[in-house]
Amino acid sequence: MDILYLLIPLSVALVFFILAGLWWAIHRGQFEDIEAEGERILRND
Amino acid sequence: MHVKISFRLLSYRLRMTRVNVLPSLPELPAATLAGPGALPMAELERLKLLDVPEEWAAFSLSAPTASGCWSSSVVFEGMHCAACAITLEDALRAVPGVRSVQISAASHRGQIVWSPEETRPSEWMQSVERFGYKAVPANDAHAHERRRQEARRMVWRLAVAAMCMMQVMMYATPAYLSGPGEISAEAMHLLRWASWVLSLPLMFFSCAPFLGNAWRDLRERQISMDLPVALGMVVTFVVSSLGTFEPDGPFGAEVYFDSLTMFVFFLLMGRWLELRLRDRTAGALEAVLNRLPDSVRKRQADGEWVRVSIRRLAVGDVIEVLPGEAFAGDGRVLSGQTQVDEALLTGESLPLLRQAGDRVIAGSHNLSGSVEVRIEQVGAATRYAQIVALMESASVSKPSMALLVDRWAKPFLVAVLLASLASAVYWWPTDPARALMVGVAVLIVTCPCALSLATPAAMLATAGAMARSGVLVRRLEALQNLATIDTVIFDKTGTLTRDAFEVARTHTRAGVSAAQALAWASALARHSLHPVSRALWSEARRQAEAAAHMADLDALMARDVSEQAGQGVRGTLQLPGQAAMPLRLGSAAFCASPVFAGAHLQVSLADAQGWLATFELAEEVRPEAAAVVAALHNMGLTLKILSGDGQSAVTQVAQSVGISDARGHCQPQDKLQALQAWQAQGHRVAMVGDGLNDGPVLAGADVSFALGQAVPLAQSKADFVLMGGQLEVLVGTVLRSRQTLRIVKQNLIWAAVYNAACVPLALVGWLPAWAAGLGMALSSLLVVLNALRLAQDTPTTWVRP
Repeated sequence: MDILYLLIPLSVALVFFILAGLWWAIHRGQFEDIEAEGERILRND
Repeated sequence: MHVKISFRLLSYRLRMTRVNVLPSLPELPAATLAGPGALPMAELERLKLLDVPEEWAAFSLSAPTASGCWSSSVVFEGMHCAACAITLEDALRAVPGVRSVQISAASHRGQIVWSPEETRPSEWMQSVERFGYKAVPANDAHAHERRRQEARRMVWRLAVAAMCMMQVMMYATPAYLSGPGEISAEAMHLLRWASWVLSLPLMFFSCAPFLGNAWRDLRERQISMDLPVALGMVVTFVVSSLGTFEPDGPFGAEVYFDSLTMFVFFLLMGRWLELRLRDRTAGALEAVLNRLPDSVRKRQADGEWVRVSIRRLAVGDVIEVLPGEAFAGDGRVLSGQTQVDEALLTGESLPLLRQAGDRVIAGSHNLSGSVEVRIEQVGAATRYAQIVALMESASVSKPSMALLVDRWAKPFLVAVLLASLASAVYWWPTDPARALMVGVAVLIVTCPCALSLATPAAMLATAGAMARSGVLVRRLEALQNLATIDTVIFDKTGTLTRDAFEVARTHTRAGVSAAQALAWASALARHSLHPVSRALWSEARRQAEAAAHMADLDALMARDVSEQAGQGVRGTLQLPGQAAMPLRLGSAAFCASPVFAGAHLQVSLADAQGWLATFELAEEVRPEAAAVVAALHNMGLTLKILSGDGQSAVTQVAQSVGISDARGHCQPQDKLQALQAWQAQGHRVAMVGDGLNDGPVLAGADVSFALGQAVPLAQSKADFVLMGGQLEVLVGTVLRSRQTLRIVKQNLIWAAVYNAACVPLALVGWLPAWAAGLGMALSSLLVVLNALRLAQDTPTTWVRP
């Protein structure tokens, strides 16, 4: 059970890690125009 | 599924590509296509208004990536799909000087970076119009950007709360599932410590708006909805932190991080939905501002006339104001003579004569002749400013239902605080920790968020959806009134009929053909701006164009034309190779003409020998009028017509649209009296008018509609302005208002029942804090979601018969 002393703090760190990823995604505007990226494949350039 | 969608897009794309190629084919006549030559000069002149650097700041910023370039926000009209966006991007990139283009198919907006050294906005806007779309400057770009930032921050707060909540729930699960003593004290402490760490960002970042508002209210000695919520958060957090780090303290070892995080998450979810609703409404209202600038013809120093935007008008400029236009500023008439309508500004209902030297006021309407005006004052009188003012007045006006709720909210909040304090004091002797949590549950569960959201959420959603369909709501209160009306009164001219006449029949003296009489009449009529004259002139021009005789018509020049108000026009016609021919055009008395039986308006033409011809002019009933009347009738409304015209003309229009109760010969005060008589009988009356001539009647009705775009919006007394002048949106508006009232009632009942049921439960301690938070958030969520049903663009079941 001693592993818990490592795993629980790790899970806390993991949450902050995921939050950092979310921050990046939100502030790059990835949730603002969800369809545009999918349609880019149809463009000529 | 995905493949299917892609194919659909591709086929759109192919079709668009074909269309793109067409304008360059030489054998096709330019007029049938939206080719470069087809753009009307007037339209081009309007676009050129945007080429002045003063106009750019309204919708552009200097581009951060390319120096010397501007980044303009544009809204595209006529876009339907992603393929349109691609076509437009290609078209814009092909314009020399355009550096980069980004168009969002979802929002119909685009960012265009261009260099002012190589191109001008009018150039790339023309290239858009060439493909059959329309680009208008996004004057709301800055507001749009601000809202986008706010939405981002809100999503980020929600995301933080969601992640923390999920993980805290994980840490809480062992405590719920294990029996006593199954988890070692150290492991338990570790779990609590981890929960505490994850509660920190939630508490100090996600909850910051609540805490900030509560703190502001406390300092200003006010009380608002955020106060009990914030109090609940702080108390829960403090009690749980003490439980974590001081298990032997007065509140015991119990922690409530799971309740806290869940409660905050649900609360933020509700706020986020509310924000989205508000954004959609605000966006729809602001989108009304996205258009080309209003313009006037200004005389330059060299005597040339140019069209400039009203914004660039300065004191001392000389402008030309055509009939039908509004005066762009206060000023003095230099030359010309006209009648103006100042009814909406001064209450003077009769047209006033204005000639050289007289003052004219901004916002009044030029009715009859074109005049040159020297501007003495400019500013907030433009239509642009009026629309802004209109929107502001609509968004700050509170419907009476919401006012009622607001009035009760404050005493209710005080009662909530006292009740939670009382319950905490009552439970304190038995168990201090439990006492605090009961108090918190009461605080949270009673938060009247749902109650105060119920009315404005629904009405704002409706106002936004209406703005998208071309109906501006001036007072939210009117939505509530509109749902309860039982009678609709129409004005006739300009409401049920178009405001233009058409020539229905022509009687002529023996030896004169109808076409010849019309041509002669038009030579006089073209000098007058009376609606009847305009109808004769346009009919003559139509006939001449059809027979390709336009040059002949233009050769007919009348001299010494003078207009006698209320009588007619006289002048001398000089026909090539003939003696001068004195002509009169006007009423039967003016022309000494016989009167023909019939319901139509008659106008006569006479020469030196006496009567020459009589034209019967019919009003054209709007094509959609009958269908609209039938639909309103089916909705259980009584329909009536009150008109200033002759009884026979009114009856005829009434019959053709299917209204049985029609009254003619009504002066404005007669209309008002009739309206008040109906109201005295207990009817609730809506009035539909053109907004110009029936100011007092519109103001006297329970709800009023103004049609048409010529109305100075802010001064119009109407509650609803139908921007496109389309009668059929009236039906949708009534349906929407009824639906709105239904949803407001549902919301209010739900919120009241929820509070009535949960407060006693919380007071006796049967409702834990997490359930209280869930209940409160769910009740707000339900109210907002219910209101969002109104924001759909086509909620109405009105089908054209």
